[in-house]
Amino acid sequence: MITTEVALGLIYSSITLLTPILLAGLAELLVERSGILNLSLEGTMLMGAFVAFMVAFYTGNLSYATLVASIAGAVLCLLFAFLTITLALDQMVTGLALNLLTIGITSYLYRASFGWYVSPIPPHIEMTLHPIDIPVLSQIPIVGKILFNHLPHTYAAFTLVLLSWWLLFRTKNGLKIRAIGEDPQTADYLGINVNLTRYVLLVLEGCVAGLAGSLLSIGYYNMFLDNMTQGRGYIAIALVILSRWNPLLLLGGTFLFSFVDAFQLRIQAFNVPFLSYQFALMLPYLFTIILLLVAGRKVKGPASLAKPFKKLR
Amino acid sequence: MALALSTVGFAFLAGAIIISSIGKDPLEAFYWLFQGAFSPSAIPETFIRATPLLLISLGLAVVFTARVWNIGAEGQFYIGGMMTAILSIMFKDVPAPLALPVIILIAGLGGAFWALTPAILKTLYGINEVITTLMLNYVAIYLVSYLLHGPFRDPISMFPETETINPALWIPIVIQGTRLHLGVLLAFLVAVPLAYLFLKRAVFGLKLDILGSSPRTAQYANINTTRLIIQAMLISGFLAGLAGGFEVLGIQHKMRLDLSPSTSPYGYTGIAVALLGYLNPLLIALTSFFLGGIINGSMTMHRMAQVPVGMAGIIQALIIIFVLMSYFVEDKLSKKIMGRLKL
Repeated sequence: MITTEVALGLIYSSITLLTPILLAGLAELLVERSGILNLSLEGTMLMGAFVAFMVAFYTGNLSYATLVASIAGAVLCLLFAFLTITLALDQMVTGLALNLLTIGITSYLYRASFGWYVSPIPPHIEMTLHPIDIPVLSQIPIVGKILFNHLPHTYAAFTLVLLSWWLLFRTKNGLKIRAIGEDPQTADYLGINVNLTRYVLLVLEGCVAGLAGSLLSIGYYNMFLDNMTQGRGYIAIALVILSRWNPLLLLGGTFLFSFVDAFQLRIQAFNVPFLSYQFALMLPYLFTIILLLVAGRKVKGPASLAKPFKKLR
Repeated sequence: MALALSTVGFAFLAGAIIISSIGKDPLEAFYWLFQGAFSPSAIPETFIRATPLLLISLGLAVVFTARVWNIGAEGQFYIGGMMTAILSIMFKDVPAPLALPVIILIAGLGGAFWALTPAILKTLYGINEVITTLMLNYVAIYLVSYLLHGPFRDPISMFPETETINPALWIPIVIQGTRLHLGVLLAFLVAVPLAYLFLKRAVFGLKLDILGSSPRTAQYANINTTRLIIQAMLISGFLAGLAGGFEVLGIQHKMRLDLSPSTSPYGYTGIAVALLGYLNPLLIALTSFFLGGIINGSMTMHRMAQVPVGMAGIIQALIIIFVLMSYFVEDKLSKKIMGRLKL
């Protein structure tokens, strides 16, 4: 039965599930506004999840884990930046290759450290990140519990939505980023450092995406699983397209998506007899395609998206 | 070509560093890798590994030539395999000469069908095919998982898999004492020359090439790009589905969830093969044999030198990256030489 409690629980878990995708999506949004399509977002999140787990496992310190995951993400995106900006390699293929690389490296290092399935229970960490109650606000009936009892990352993600919107559309730097994405040649003539801007945005994206990935292993589960991001990076990219490269719309899109995700988890838990759990698992992916079909038709992205830029002067 | 070979060398060098980083001996590891890949007794198995890679990457060469990125071969491969298992179980008493061609054909059509949606979404609605084909991989694998846990599960097996297919329907073995079946020969001796003719000698290949290098030129040349993209996607889906059918009827003899090796899935590895083979069917045949060997050898390497099989995936990814870099170097070199010659 759908009671108020179930409905509220659904909204609460949507907000929880939304956080990593929103974080990664916001970072990707800024990068795409500057004309770079970074498919290695998926691998960056996976690397974040893996590194955070390893550090947490060996040191027991979640702050270190978060920090190192962020650095690892930045390193991976720096590599992507070098390959696609400095060497001007195809962004799509490079991104996919880096994803294969991270799947390989994480699974390889995981087994090198723990052996080949030592026991039926995979290695896990004792503690995970805790939600923070915001004083006073969390005391508000109903709304308080849903909105003000989350991981710090969630509050950060919501703040970043506003910040990145403000950056993009209300500041000079945002104008520069958008100009680069539309026409890097002209931006270059106007004296904007195209490549440097893209490098900076990509490294920032790496930090944020690594952090977003770390949430999976040390925030939601207390373990690492092979390929545990399960396409969340790609979904974030799809949602960026869907949001027409606007942070506010991205928030709406990720919420819708996460709502479906939370819903499918409920379906699984309720064990509806005629609905197999695999169909529930399919929902988020199908939903992404349908959303793209409904709202993503012929949307025009930044004009130079995914095109290599060669300085002519 | 020499450049392509040196990229492989670089990939192995980087691999060696990663292997030594966990305190193993890279030379010993690579020795077992090559033993497991290219020693005479391993060669039939390497051909078997190479076959799905070859079929998938031939298809990818077709779409990639038009610079349409079908990343969905993995899902198309699983759909082809599943269709094959279902049909083989339904028609287990139909004589093989009658049933086999139909089953194999429908396996291919299943894969093509799976590629159709992204093709339509791309051509009619301008929706990025990378995202849709990727999403459909997950959908396909969950669908197969459902069918294997539910309606088509073999009731006496401990695993989610179908019952074993009637041996009368297995693709005939060519070399006794190995698992080398007729499908392997068909892939190497029929599919490769056909793909070569289509891509390099027929108008179809030329059109794909024009579309790939400049969509605007394609428009001026009066090429129906919508139809061309859909055709290319259908062909690549068909070949991936076919690969799934061969794998089920020739090797596994049942449908299982690990139809593709988990650390180097055929559908994604096929991307590496297609690119490393410069989208040329002849080079692709060579490359798939080589990468099939690496996947095959990584198992031996794991057994004998305790290096995790993830290494195969790492080496493949490094090869893609280095091949892309070689494009860059080639570009620079040719410019330098041109500059010297003052052309």
